[in-house]
Amino acid sequence: MMPFLARRAAALVAAVLLASFTVFLIPYVTPGDPVRKIIRSRVAGDVIDDSAVDALSLQLGLNDPLWTQYLRWLGRLSSGDMGLSYTSRTPVAEQVLPALWITLSLVVLALGAAAAISVILGVTAALQEGRPADKAITAVTQAFIALPEYWLAPLFVLVFALQLSLLPSAGWEGPHSAVLPVAVLALRPTSYFTSAVREGVLEALSAEHVAAARSRGLSHLQTVWKHVIPNGLLPLTTLVAVWFAGLLGGSVIVEVIFAIPGMGRLLFDGVLNSDIPLAQGAVVVVVGLAVLLTTAADLVHGLLNPQIRMSHA
Amino acid sequence: MRFSLPSSLSLGLVALLSLTGCGFSGSSAGSKQAADTDQRIVVDNFRAPVANWALESDAAYILSLSGCLETLTRYDESQGKIVPSLATEWKQASPLEWDFTIREGVKFQDGSALTAGAVAGSLQHVLGAAVPARAFNPKVVSGVKAIDDRTVRVTTPTESPLVPYRLASVNTGVLAPAAFKGETVDPFGHCTGPFEAVSEKPKQSLTLDRNEEYWGGEVQLAGAEIRFITDGAARAAQVQTGEADVSLSIPVSGLAALEADSNVKVLKADSPRTATLYMNNGKAPFDDVDFRKAVRSALDLDALASSVYEGAAVAASGPFAPSEPWAIEGAEAPKKDVEAAKKLLASAGYTADRPLEIVAIVERAEFADVATVIQDNLKAVGVPVKIQTKEYAAVEPDLLAGNYDMVLSQRNRLIDIADPIGFLTADYTCDGSYNLSHFCNEDYDATIAKAAKTADADERYRLYAEAGQILQDQAVNVWLVNEQAIDAVRADLQSHVQDPLSRYVVRAETAKSGS
Repeated sequence: MMPFLARRAAALVAAVLLASFTVFLIPYVTPGDPVRKIIRSRVAGDVIDDSAVDALSLQLGLNDPLWTQYLRWLGRLSSGDMGLSYTSRTPVAEQVLPALWITLSLVVLALGAAAAISVILGVTAALQEGRPADKAITAVTQAFIALPEYWLAPLFVLVFALQLSLLPSAGWEGPHSAVLPVAVLALRPTSYFTSAVREGVLEALSAEHVAAARSRGLSHLQTVWKHVIPNGLLPLTTLVAVWFAGLLGGSVIVEVIFAIPGMGRLLFDGVLNSDIPLAQGAVVVVVGLAVLLTTAADLVHGLLNPQIRMSHA
Repeated sequence: MRFSLPSSLSLGLVALLSLTGCGFSGSSAGSKQAADTDQRIVVDNFRAPVANWALESDAAYILSLSGCLETLTRYDESQGKIVPSLATEWKQASPLEWDFTIREGVKFQDGSALTAGAVAGSLQHVLGAAVPARAFNPKVVSGVKAIDDRTVRVTTPTESPLVPYRLASVNTGVLAPAAFKGETVDPFGHCTGPFEAVSEKPKQSLTLDRNEEYWGGEVQLAGAEIRFITDGAARAAQVQTGEADVSLSIPVSGLAALEADSNVKVLKADSPRTATLYMNNGKAPFDDVDFRKAVRSALDLDALASSVYEGAAVAASGPFAPSEPWAIEGAEAPKKDVEAAKKLLASAGYTADRPLEIVAIVERAEFADVATVIQDNLKAVGVPVKIQTKEYAAVEPDLLAGNYDMVLSQRNRLIDIADPIGFLTADYTCDGSYNLSHFCNEDYDATIAKAAKTADADERYRLYAEAGQILQDQAVNVWLVNEQAIDAVRADLQSHVQDPLSRYVVRAETAKSGS
C-alpha cells in the first residue's frame, strides 16, 4: 500500500507542476501580447497606450524572464500564496475557494443523481437483457450521450424557465437555481454509468461464483443482491472518480450558460484574459483534486476487489 | 474587443425561443399604475467588475449604471451636450486651466461632505493609476487641485475645450476620501448617487439600496440588484421570465422572441459603433482611391443590414451614425453599382493577380458571415477574395504594421468621452495611434487639429462632419452598417431612459409599479 501511495504522491506533484507550467505558458505561446490582453480585460477598447503596457509590465513583473516568473509563483505557492489576479487584483485563493465550493456542489449533486439513476437503469437493463426494457434503456441512454450540454442547457431553460416558469433561467441564488445545471450535467454521465453498470452486472451474472451461489440454494433475488450487484458496480467507482475530476474544470459551458461562478468559468476567464495567477491557481486545485480523487477511487476499487489489491502490493 | 460566447451557443437558445414563439401571458404591458416605492429591480449587465473596483477600469461603468457613482458633469443624450452634475458650472480660467464649481449641500453616502478637496483627491487617484483611464490620464490632464472650498482646477498640457467632456467620463466618478484609505478602492457607502452599493457577490451581483439623503430629489426605487451575466441569450431569457427588469445589450438573435412578448419592451438606439471594412491604404491595390471606391460600389450594404444583422443595423452613410450631431448632412448610404465598380477597377488598372484577404475577427461572430457576403459581392466585379478568421490579439500587430489587405472590425467612437475627437485622431490622422487604414491626409489632419481647439460645440461638430466627408470622399474604408444598442425592459418599468453606452441605467426617477 505504501509504495502505491508514494507513487501517487509523486504523480500528484508532477501533475501539478506540469499543468501549472503549461497554463503559465499559454499566454506566451498563443498569438498576441499578454499584457495587452490583461489591459483589455480591465478596460474595453482597441487603442492601448504603450506607456500603459510598460507600466503594467513593470507592476506585474512581466518583463522578468519566464523561468523567474514561474519560480516566483512556485515559491509563493509553497507558502500557500496563489498571488493576486491580474484582472481583478484580488487574491486568487479568495476567488478559487468559493468557486470550488460551487462547482463541487454542482458536481456532487450531478454525479450523485447520475449514479443513483444509472444503478437502477443499468441493473434493470442487465436483468432484462434483450427484452424491450433493456432495449429502451439502452436506446435512451445512448441518445443522451450524443446530446451536448450547449444544446441541452438552452432546451432546459426554454422548457422549465420560460414555458413552465418552474425554475430560474440563470444565476446562483439557492438550491432551486442548481436544479437545471445539475440536470444538464447529470445526463451524459448517467448514460455512461448506465452502460457500465449494465455490462458489469452482465459480467457478474456469468461469473462462476454466482453460479456457485445459485447452486448452494440462494434465490435469484438473493444472488443478485449479494453477489451480482456489488461486483457489477465496481466499474462505477472508477467512472465516477474520472467524471468527477473531469467536471471540476470541464463544466465551463454549463457554468457560462447558467451564469454560475464556478471553477470552469474561473479557469476559462483566467486563460481568456491572460490572467496567469488565476488560471494557475485554478489548475493547481483542479489537477490536485483530480489526482487525489482517482487515487481514492483506486484504493476503494482495490478494497472491493482483492485481485487489484494484490497486483498493487 | 470583448469576448462573447460562440454564436452557436447563444443561437441555440435564441433559435429555440424563436421556433416556439415563446412568450407567456401576464399583467398587461405598459401599465400606468402608480409607482411603488418599495419595489426593487434587477438589471442584467453584460460585464462583471474588474480591477477590484478601480475607477480607471471598466468597473466604473457598473458603479455608474447602477446609480451609485456620479461625475462632475454628464453628457445629456437628448440635448447632445454636457450638463451639470456634481459641478454646477465650469469655465476656462486660462488656456490650460479649467475651474469647476462644486455643488453645495451634497454629501457622500458615508455622511462626509462633498468638497473641492474631496473631489480633487478622488480625481488625483485616477490620474495616478498605473494603467490610466482613456479619458483622464497624464497625457491629457497634467494636474488637479482644489483652489478653494468649492472650486476644483483641472490643468491640461495643451489647450483643450474638451475638459468638461472628460469629467463626464464614468472613470472620473467621485468617491469619498474614505474610499481610498485601503490598498484598494472601496465604493461601498462612498458614492454620492441615488443608490448606495451595500454588498457584492463576486462575479455574480452587486446590491444597492436607496440613498435616502440623495441631493437630486426623491429616489423612487427601494433598491436594485445588478447581475453580471455574460451570455446574451441568458440575459434575453431573464427579462422574458421576469427574473430581470432590465437586460442590457441583447443579441440580435434574441430579438424576435422578445419583440413578440407583450410583457417586454425592446429599446433600440443608434450606437456609436459602425461595422467597418478597413482597407490598408498603404498597400496596393488599396493605395489607389479608385480601387477603394470600386470596393465600396461593389458592396450591397442594405442587403448586409437586412440579412446578417437581421434588421438590427442600418446601412452606414459614412463614419458616423445619422443621429449623431456631427453626422455628415444629407449623406446617404452608398448603393451597390456593379457597373460603376467595374469602371473604377479599370480606371485603377486593377489586375486580379492575387486573391485579396479579408480578416474576420472571431470575437465578433457575425463578421464571418459579413466577410462571406463581401467575398461574394467582390467576386461579382472580378475581385477574388479569401477569408481568414483570427483572434483580434493575434492579428493586431499585423494591422498596426500594415501587413494586411482588409479587416472587418468595429470601433466605439465615444469610448473615452462623449465626443469623437479621440476616435478621429487615433484612427485617421497621419500620426494616429490606431490608424489601421494607414491613411494620411494633410487637409484631414488640419481639420481635426482645428476641431480639437474649438470650444464651440456646434462649430466643432461641423468640423467633424467636414473631416468625415474627407474620409468618405477618399473612400478610406467602407463603413458597412451602423449597429444599434438593444436593451430590453419589463413593461411595468417606468421612467426608464435608454443610454446607448449603458452609463446611466438605474436613476433616481426610475420606478416600477406594484405587482
